[in-house]
Amino acid sequence: MMNLPFCLRSVVVNHSLFDHCVQVEVRPEPFSPWSELERWSPADAALAMFVGRVRGKSVDGAPLQALELEHYPGMTEARIAEEAEVAMASCGACSALVLHRVGRLNPGEVIVLVAVAADRRGPAQSCCASLLEALKHDAPIWKREWCRDLGSWLEGNTPR
Amino acid sequence: MSDHRSPELQVRLFASLREQLGWGEKRIPFPEGDQVTALAVWDALQLGPWPSGVRVAVNQQFVARDQRLEVDDELAFLPPFSGG
Repeated sequence: MMNLPFCLRSVVVNHSLFDHCVQVEVRPEPFSPWSELERWSPADAALAMFVGRVRGKSVDGAPLQALELEHYPGMTEARIAEEAEVAMASCGACSALVLHRVGRLNPGEVIVLVAVAADRRGPAQSCCASLLEALKHDAPIWKREWCRDLGSWLEGNTPR
Repeated sequence: MSDHRSPELQVRLFASLREQLGWGEKRIPFPEGDQVTALAVWDALQLGPWPSGVRVAVNQQFVARDQRLEVDDELAFLPPFSGG
């Protein structure tokens, strides 16, 4: 197990290793990805980002009332930060920002923002894609769809 | 001052597992035996057949379900993830 130095402030994890800068935060309240990107604003030449939002339909195609997200506090932030370090080292990226919602979300609300900065577009884009996939498969987060006042837990991710 | 607490283990369940089994977190007496594992705890709690895709974390690190546990570990049973 790699021993990573990080400070845990509430639900925020900041990693700084190998000259990388990683900010991970799990939030119970809505956020604007555009404001967050402006605030983050690293100086690198290339920025890649992904914004995931709640669909209007369930996996079965029924109109969705809401999406509920639950996570394992502490482990979620640590896992994402570790995955970010691995992806950045592998792709040659410089910094990453990951914000993830929890709680009850309405259709259209932002679930996740993944942003990566690098000196060139290739590392930025590949790191952003690989960090998103790692997050989906290895961060302890669960979704429950609510349709017609009935909730059902999703078992796994939607296809890419 | 000596600590007279009985050895225990913290067990956590999440999402569908928590709702199926009706509890999310409890401290249990540390099971007896030389090889106490997540799988042995699952069986001791009579949680039924091992569900497909469930992963195990000990002290918030992924481990195999047959890894040996220590007193005061936090053991979590994690149904398949669906974040992002």
